Amino acid sequence: MKLKTIAVTCSALMMLSGASAVMAYDGTKCKAAGNCWEAKPGFPDKIKGSKYDPKHSEKELNKQDAALKAMEKRNADRVEQFKKTGKWVY
Amino acid sequence: MREMHHSRWSKIGTALAVSSALGLMSGMSVANDKLVELSKSNENWVMQGKDFSGTHYSTAKQINKDNVKKLRPSWSFSTGVLNGHEGAPLVVNGTMFIHTPFPNNTFAIDLDEPGVIKWEHKPKQDPAARAVACCDVVNRGLAYWPGDDKAPAMIVKSLLDGHVVALNAETGEEYWKVENGDISVGQTETAAPFVAKDLVIQGSSGAELGVRGYVTAYDIHTGEMVWRWYATGPDSDVGLDKDFNKANPHYGQKGLGTSTWEDNAWKIGGGTNWGWYAYDPQLDMFYYGSGNPAPWNETMRPGDNKWTMTIWGRDLETGLAKFGYQKTPHDEWDYAGVNVMMLSEQKDKNGKMRKLLTHPDRNGIIYTLDRETGDLVSANKMDDTANWVKKVDLETGLPIRDPEYGTRMGHRSRDICPSAMGFHNQGFDSYDPKRELFYLGINHLCMDWEPFMLPYRAGQFFVGANVWTYPGPKGDRQNGIGSGQVKAYNAITGDFAWEKMEKFSVWGGTTATEGGLVFYGTLDGFIKARDADTGKLLWKFKLPSGVIGHPMTYTHKGTQYIAINYGVGGWPAVGLVFDLNDPSAGLGAVGAFKELARNTQMGGGVMVFSLDGKSPYDDVSLGEYGM
Repeated sequence: MKLKTIAVTCSALMMLSGASAVMAYDGTKCKAAGNCWEAKPGFPDKIKGSKYDPKHSEKELNKQDAALKAMEKRNADRVEQFKKTGKWVY
Repeated sequence: MREMHHSRWSKIGTALAVSSALGLMSGMSVANDKLVELSKSNENWVMQGKDFSGTHYSTAKQINKDNVKKLRPSWSFSTGVLNGHEGAPLVVNGTMFIHTPFPNNTFAIDLDEPGVIKWEHKPKQDPAARAVACCDVVNRGLAYWPGDDKAPAMIVKSLLDGHVVALNAETGEEYWKVENGDISVGQTETAAPFVAKDLVIQGSSGAELGVRGYVTAYDIHTGEMVWRWYATGPDSDVGLDKDFNKANPHYGQKGLGTSTWEDNAWKIGGGTNWGWYAYDPQLDMFYYGSGNPAPWNETMRPGDNKWTMTIWGRDLETGLAKFGYQKTPHDEWDYAGVNVMMLSEQKDKNGKMRKLLTHPDRNGIIYTLDRETGDLVSANKMDDTANWVKKVDLETGLPIRDPEYGTRMGHRSRDICPSAMGFHNQGFDSYDPKRELFYLGINHLCMDWEPFMLPYRAGQFFVGANVWTYPGPKGDRQNGIGSGQVKAYNAITGDFAWEKMEKFSVWGGTTATEGGLVFYGTLDGFIKARDADTGKLLWKFKLPSGVIGHPMTYTHKGTQYIAINYGVGGWPAVGLVFDLNDPSAGLGAVGAFKELARNTQMGGGVMVFSLDGKSPYDDVSLGEYGM
């Protein structure tokens, strides 16, 4: 485990050092453990405000969560009824 | 608002986990022990993977290398449904349970007289579900729970329109029915439920519509939700144990479900889990893979996009993740890693006995992890033609990419291997513990890929890439054949004991037996048996339609049977099923399988084989009204 930790640390340090600047792009440059994505040459690392900004609607983005919460509530009501009566009513 | 949401969920999650743990500890082992016993018996096939380890291996050996050529049809059953028939029937205590794709009918058949249907369950569901299914209207099968003193034995199934239903296994009557997905926002269900202890684990489908993946546990007795955890978002939603990835901190630990996404893109970030599960009763952990990030267009989602594409090891009772290993950070190819998890106990290269998990991923790499810690033990190419990655660094766990095969806006990337369909997709493969070999059904497919921008609208397709798929370099691209392989793999040495090419993808997976045989079905409608040691083809039979499910075997009254679903469809056959001709249609599948329609047509049913075709109907008086 210790060897592995050392190896990972060395690897991360190497990637953060100037040596990485001369290495070819391979999509990976660790900023932190598990956070290693690197934007492709010519592409932004943030797309908001760029020509690739999908301009998501927050209202649309929240619909899935709202749907799941509503289902959870309906399911909980069904379970409560089932526990009281022994009969499942959909 | 978000903070309130997080803290509320965190509290609810904790409360549910505690109440669940308390509830499950009373009498929990009774049903589980029954299930374990049933899974050991060759008379039964009680779960899709044969056993909790997902070995898909039977110790039955009446049918063996010497006599397999005498296999003949014993009896058959038409489901009356077309479209792709994935998964396999279950057999429990003399009854076969058969499922279908949408409309998700279920049949119980008495093995003493298979011509009579004991009961049938035909659910009413919203037909609009068909319009939001990404890749045909498939279903991967049923789960069984053996019952206890509080509730009867049950068959559990998912419906395409998002419901999970528990049926009385004796009568087929609905015991409970819950909503687990809403098709109006793209959430569907195609995965087989997985039962362990008194919990029904259900995955989610719909990443091609931007569905944020989630895994849910329901109490089998009441249908009550016990826990639900997501693939993306805040840690309190993802469900991370306090020691998450403690043994492998370089995999990443806290906060990454949001910090590896831009703004709120994680809310529509995919990571659905419509594949298979395995469970280790000793560790009380279960395992599965989360799938591709959404949309497919990588330029629209900067970041590593955690925790899509992840092998999860979670505690069963709380659902909290002990480890998560992301195989394809920032996926650019739709390598949705929901693939089968097969558990084995083997000595590693240093001679140390390990509890292992082996997972043939869609990205062309077959991974083996220590399933207690998540340590990466091996990661090898399933075929040397995989080119997006040079290798996986076992120390860091990171794939070393070849940028030549990356994808990006404004560019058509060519000759990427594997294709989006992967070198391995939803097939359930097998592990022979004596030979220490995994038998892999493989796709040999590569592709061109060109992304495009599109807005997100809940309930609408959110893909953002045109794909052209074709057989890989070892196949015949011009004629659309040579798109499949079958291989025998040793996860410790990384060697392949044997490998064979197939005309089409081996989509459904393999089943191995102590008879020294490996069975599988083919898209063009054959069931085949190969020698487990050499790969030599020993037997085959042409079925009424192509196969995308996996074989199973059971013994009834002293006779060993092999059964398999037929019914071509699923992603590889969407062109055939929906009569599509544009090679890039069907998310890129149509061109790759343009030849398939000359080999098979739609159908749907189960075919059962035995030596010399031995059958209950050898007694010709069986079922007769008058002789």
